[in-house]
Amino acid sequence: MPEQMVTIPTRGRVDQPVEGETSRTMPDQIGNVAGATMAELHERLIHSNPRDVLEPLDKVYAFWLSGMSCDGCTISALGATEPSVEELLTGAMPGLPVLILHHYATAIESGDHFTHEMEKAAKGELDAPYVVVYEGSIPDENLTIEGEPWAAEGSLPTWSPEGERRRIPTAEWVRRMAPGAAAVIAIGTCATWGGIPAAFGNATGSMSLMDFLGKEYRSAFGLPVINVPGCAPLGDNFTETVALLLLFLNGQAPLPEFDELGRPAWLFSETVHRKCPRAGWYEEGTFAKEYGDKECLVEVGCWGPVVNCNITERGAVGHMGGCMVAGGPCIGCTMPGFPDKFTPFYKTPPGSQASTFMSKMVGSFVRPLRRISQLDRNREIRWHDHVPSGWALEYDKTTTTHKVIEYFYNKLQYYRSEKPGRQKDVEKYRSGYKTPAEEAYGENYQVLPDERAKIAKERGTPQRRGLTPQAEGFDTPLEER
Amino acid sequence: MCFQNLPIEFDEQGNPYLKGGVTDPYAYQTREIDRSQVEELLKRNGHVKEMSLDPVTRVAGALAFHSVVDLEKRKVYEANSVASLFRGYEVILKGRDPRDAMFISSRVCGVCGGVHSVASSLAIEMAFGITPPPMGLALRNIQLGLDFCLDNPLHLYVLAGPDYSQIVVERTNPALWEKAKKTECRYTDIHGFKTMAELMEAFNPLTGKLYIQGIHATRVPREAYSLLFGKYPHPQTVVPGGLSSTVTLRELNETHNRIIRTIDFAKMGVFIWEEITAFFYEADPKYKEVGTRPMNFMDSGIWDDPYNYDGTYESAPEWGERRWGTPGIVIDGKLVTTNLHHINMGLEEFVEHSFYESWENEGIRYETDPSGNPISPHHPWNKETKPKPTQKRSWKERYTWDTAPRWDRHVMEAGTYARMWITAAAKKLPHTRFLESTGHSLKMHTPKTLLPPMELEWKIPEVWNAFERNLNRAYHIVYCQLVALDNLYIAFELMKQGKTKTATPYEVPQDERIGVGFWGAGRGWLTHHLVMDKGALVDYQIITPSTINASPKDPWGHGGAYEEAVVNTPILEEYDKPEEFTGIDIFRAIRSFDPCMPCTTHIHSDTHVVTREVNTCACGIV
Repeated sequence: MPEQMVTIPTRGRVDQPVEGETSRTMPDQIGNVAGATMAELHERLIHSNPRDVLEPLDKVYAFWLSGMSCDGCTISALGATEPSVEELLTGAMPGLPVLILHHYATAIESGDHFTHEMEKAAKGELDAPYVVVYEGSIPDENLTIEGEPWAAEGSLPTWSPEGERRRIPTAEWVRRMAPGAAAVIAIGTCATWGGIPAAFGNATGSMSLMDFLGKEYRSAFGLPVINVPGCAPLGDNFTETVALLLLFLNGQAPLPEFDELGRPAWLFSETVHRKCPRAGWYEEGTFAKEYGDKECLVEVGCWGPVVNCNITERGAVGHMGGCMVAGGPCIGCTMPGFPDKFTPFYKTPPGSQASTFMSKMVGSFVRPLRRISQLDRNREIRWHDHVPSGWALEYDKTTTTHKVIEYFYNKLQYYRSEKPGRQKDVEKYRSGYKTPAEEAYGENYQVLPDERAKIAKERGTPQRRGLTPQAEGFDTPLEER
Repeated sequence: MCFQNLPIEFDEQGNPYLKGGVTDPYAYQTREIDRSQVEELLKRNGHVKEMSLDPVTRVAGALAFHSVVDLEKRKVYEANSVASLFRGYEVILKGRDPRDAMFISSRVCGVCGGVHSVASSLAIEMAFGITPPPMGLALRNIQLGLDFCLDNPLHLYVLAGPDYSQIVVERTNPALWEKAKKTECRYTDIHGFKTMAELMEAFNPLTGKLYIQGIHATRVPREAYSLLFGKYPHPQTVVPGGLSSTVTLRELNETHNRIIRTIDFAKMGVFIWEEITAFFYEADPKYKEVGTRPMNFMDSGIWDDPYNYDGTYESAPEWGERRWGTPGIVIDGKLVTTNLHHINMGLEEFVEHSFYESWENEGIRYETDPSGNPISPHHPWNKETKPKPTQKRSWKERYTWDTAPRWDRHVMEAGTYARMWITAAAKKLPHTRFLESTGHSLKMHTPKTLLPPMELEWKIPEVWNAFERNLNRAYHIVYCQLVALDNLYIAFELMKQGKTKTATPYEVPQDERIGVGFWGAGRGWLTHHLVMDKGALVDYQIITPSTINASPKDPWGHGGAYEEAVVNTPILEEYDKPEEFTGIDIFRAIRSFDPCMPCTTHIHSDTHVVTREVNTCACGIV
């Protein structure tokens, strides 16, 4: 088990009630299994392990609403490490307010006790600002006017008899809570653009959060909807955006930059191809023909060159993996056009054909030239005609053509530049001092030991007996001193 | 042979046929749900309460639960499980290129990512007539082993764990908490907790050691998963015919390291949950009834033998029995079949109490499966998904987006325990490097890591309840790690032989084809049934484990597994006044299933027992 993100046990406690807890005074206790809501547990944590906070905000509520979702965004966020969820929730980061998360997957309380917190936010009764995080698409609940909502969370009025309750569509919660929120963050492609539940052929009339709230929407702090896309999004992209926003709310950092679609600009302004480890194959005009091949995946259906995403740079989890890194062609899951502008999946994108043709043309010239230069770059300056590696066959086969190319390449490389070493008089020691190597073997001492042995013999330079097996033989005993 | 309710018999060679002389063999009479008694009780008695739990938290997705509880007799009279989300994946897939199915169906559930893409690719491969190469199969097994190694700890320590934490036990059962302070742990040398109270404190949300470790434990297998399959959830390398992963020694090494690094936490987890189970059983044997229901299990099997798999429907009974997870059906604790044909034949789905229209007027597509075995008009290959959100919820009529899948018209349960139960009972497990099926238990020879080597043995339990479900899930993590490790060594071996090909090429056929992917999810059973024609999907049907477990009542009025389990749960929490009642025992019963509603929601289920509404994971709702 590697070290956990929060390695030192927190001093905070959640088992000691503090003043002002109200959940035990509600009309009934069904679902209040700990006798405290998650928000109250956070309050206990803050009280028992107080922070020396100079910033204005000690805490911020986050209401995670879920519509037509698969919970993948939640799972993704839980895997994040930049920062981790537990760091945000436990107040482990001094510059950030404690994030009080209201999420159906983590809440200790259920039922009306859970719904009541959302009601408080909608009515503006919380003691700190809140953000809304929305996961999933928003279905058209006009289609369910006669029946049960497509997607619902909780029922109102709370603590009323079964017959008087109405299940509240998630869309209605958005409508109630968005105006008062400090920020509204759409997480994942369903929430940001519509995603699969909104694809062709859907039965629910689904759409994105931005579609639903409209162009004019601004949060209480004046922000339009913030979009962190991806199916599922990178957990780190989400927690990083949240952390930077919290730092901003706390006056510690500038407002992070967002692009014209509300995406974090520092994460989504490049195409995923630009930082793809396979992009070099594209450049040389070599492409994977079959699944599992190591080359660029464009011809087996990768849309990377036109997709805004950072997974090849950041990695999927803990900076590891990533679609094309592992061999998966990009299907554009971060894009507004996903899925229908990228289907059928695995079919070569039509737009890539002209550019792959050109890169193959260019590549057919560039590749052989690069291989020659590469072969020479794979040689130490002491390996003139042969290579001392016992593994090598290819590297011993230096042809005259190679040598000619190498000669001219060398000329070009140092044209109007300084070649290392001390060829010119001004570079030499004024006293005429020579380094021990030059003294022993002369200027051309950059050769392998057997040749040095020959030079030493000619020049009468002493050598340790038996030190260099390739010059004197492996059975030569070492000199005893 | 294995069928008690469906009119299917077998000839001497074991071939099934429909009993002669029955004009409409699959016809049935719907039984009306009678709520008059419950309504009467509610009217008459102040201590009979209707509980609306909406949402049920700490489950994946949207689950509501309604129940009627007698707080004096400490009994639950009625339970209705409500899947409160419909997204319509089956409808979206109808009319698409079959190559879209893997990525689209993957999005059914983001909790155990990738199980749907693999089930989908199996169905497509069967329809296309292709088989993945051994390396592709071995890597899929590693993928789905790793998947559950993060999915199961998430449930044990973040979702269900808090129900056994200090703050909950102290609040709901103060006497139990006093006892916990005095009870010494049995396995302190392994996990370090001296008393049960210490251990329960570690389950506290936000501050508990196990809570925080549990979150982090999900990251290590995710890293390995991302290395070979791109990302988590929703892997990017599952393709028709295998995987598009580029596999080198580096990926295998890094995966190896990560499997090894998670084994200690999993080993320890087994002892943590053994402590919890033993403590509650000893404190009050009535805890053995929390969440109890008949021992009826179904599992479609998982993890194919890379060397013995052809992916055809015809040989499914053979390759099915060579899986690391044996497919099968258990009725009343007895294993009745491990034959995938029988399992498929007995499958039916009903929508009498769900917000769907029936598909009677669409006609019957198939009367038999591709091998000539009879299938029902209610079988997924004949079913069509027709959502109808125009009815108000009624506990007597329709109350959920979940459907009611049944096998041989029995109420069934799916789960990690169904997988292990059948594998243990069948004694057919051919892979014995780390695992051994004894007929009554599954032995896991766990190698030495930081903790010493251990022979962990999960025994088929004598009683069936919420504690046994959670305990099994702890063992299941170790089981999955060993399956992943076993397959990793197979992958190294294939590498040695130069067999690194991970996928088989294909062309999209234009004629009528039929396919099924029998696979498993983090909660057990998973099938994708498809029909394609003229290069497009014409029908796509998904049955997830939470579809089965969260199901509403069937046409005969039998509630689904959650509903049954809640009705059977005694109320053991301590309260002086009815207003103090929290319902913890009911929550423990529901959460022990690890509800995952995202998958369930092509199913919406409303069980009417003790009344609560709970919102859970979107898995349930395709």
